[in-house]
Amino acid sequence: MNSSNTDLQRRQRFDRLVSVWHQDMYRYAVWLSRDPAIAEDVVQEAMLRAWKSLHALREDEAAKQWVLTIVRRENARYFERKRLETVDIDNLTQSQSAMLAESSDTDLDDVREAIYRLDDDYREPLVLQVLMGHSTKEIAEMMDIKPGAVLTRLHRARLKLKEEVGEGAAL
Amino acid sequence: MNAAGTNMNCEQYREAIAADPSESFDGGALHSAECSSCTAYKAEMQALDVRISAALEIDVPELTMPELPSISDGERVVDLASRRPIRWTTPAWVGLAASVVLATVIGVRFINTGEDYGTLAEQVIAHLDYEPQALTVTDVAVSDDRLYSVVKPAIATLDRDLGLISYAMSCRINGREVPHLVVQGEQGPVTILLMPHEMIDMAIQLDGQSIEGVILPVGEGSIAIIGNRGEPIDQLRTRVTENVKWSI
Repeated sequence: MNSSNTDLQRRQRFDRLVSVWHQDMYRYAVWLSRDPAIAEDVVQEAMLRAWKSLHALREDEAAKQWVLTIVRRENARYFERKRLETVDIDNLTQSQSAMLAESSDTDLDDVREAIYRLDDDYREPLVLQVLMGHSTKEIAEMMDIKPGAVLTRLHRARLKLKEEVGEGAAL
Repeated sequence: MNAAGTNMNCEQYREAIAADPSESFDGGALHSAECSSCTAYKAEMQALDVRISAALEIDVPELTMPELPSISDGERVVDLASRRPIRWTTPAWVGLAASVVLATVIGVRFINTGEDYGTLAEQVIAHLDYEPQALTVTDVAVSDDRLYSVVKPAIATLDRDLGLISYAMSCRINGREVPHLVVQGEQGPVTILLMPHEMIDMAIQLDGQSIEGVILPVGEGSIAIIGNRGEPIDQLRTRVTENVKWSI
């Protein structure tokens, strides 16, 4: 088999298993980094990583979990490289501000800002559960913590949000 | 059993429903069916989750796919260019085939490889030079305490089935902590570097005049195995991949 055929097959598999999650990778990266501009960089790097290590994906069914784990690691690498400080909500970049001012719905903005302010440890499992639809077991694997710890963090995250945004507008 | 007739009390239920408002946990539906205040609490949490879900749904801009490099089939081979010999060492009382090892000369040449691979292979080989004391022919194994202080649970788990591990040291490759082990092989000491952060897309063969080895892609990291020429590296690579699991 020549290399162009190999590349074509690889590309087809990549499109089927990885490219389809491109938007989810971005959303996850945004909530990890809390910065859309950084998220785009992280996702680009994650795409390249996934391309180079596609052979390491043994089970097609686990593709989403696999690519999100790569995004998670790339995000960690990014912050390690840049040695970024904790985001100060009162001193946001243009890109960060835009993320929090996307809607004209005040309640939505309040909840988004409250999520934004959550500690990383609480925000991440919440995003993986609510936005990405992962189970407790999957989140535990991705974050390398015990399922009990995931549940504790989710419980605390929601209590914190409930405390901050109350019952909100009637639905 | 509690008042609601389940094994879950209200406090436990509320903790569980705040962690999982879908109420998919055991005993949840049974408890809420019997407890009106917890049913109200569940509704509150589910309403909050609707708002959380809406807030998390951010607009996604038009995303561009990075240019994906061509990746050729098969393993890459890194030939090792001329470099000074590695100084293998051995205690005087060990009468094994140290003379063969002491005569080692490694020739180094990088061909057919991208810069990343050359750099990683070069760093791995350079590291052997850096710690020649590791390459001692011996039948004394390092203690479990020593081994597991180097191969920390946070990095990887390791079974001792690898063989006689005579050396364990925490080292650095590319600024990352790397457990450096030496296993006594058939042809002398065999170096094993566990590199959980060094992702490679395919195995890199290391081919020198007196040594041979491989850097294997393992999950999102890689493992280097380098022994004397003639060392049955294939057997070792199977043992290593079966016995090492990343925790990172």
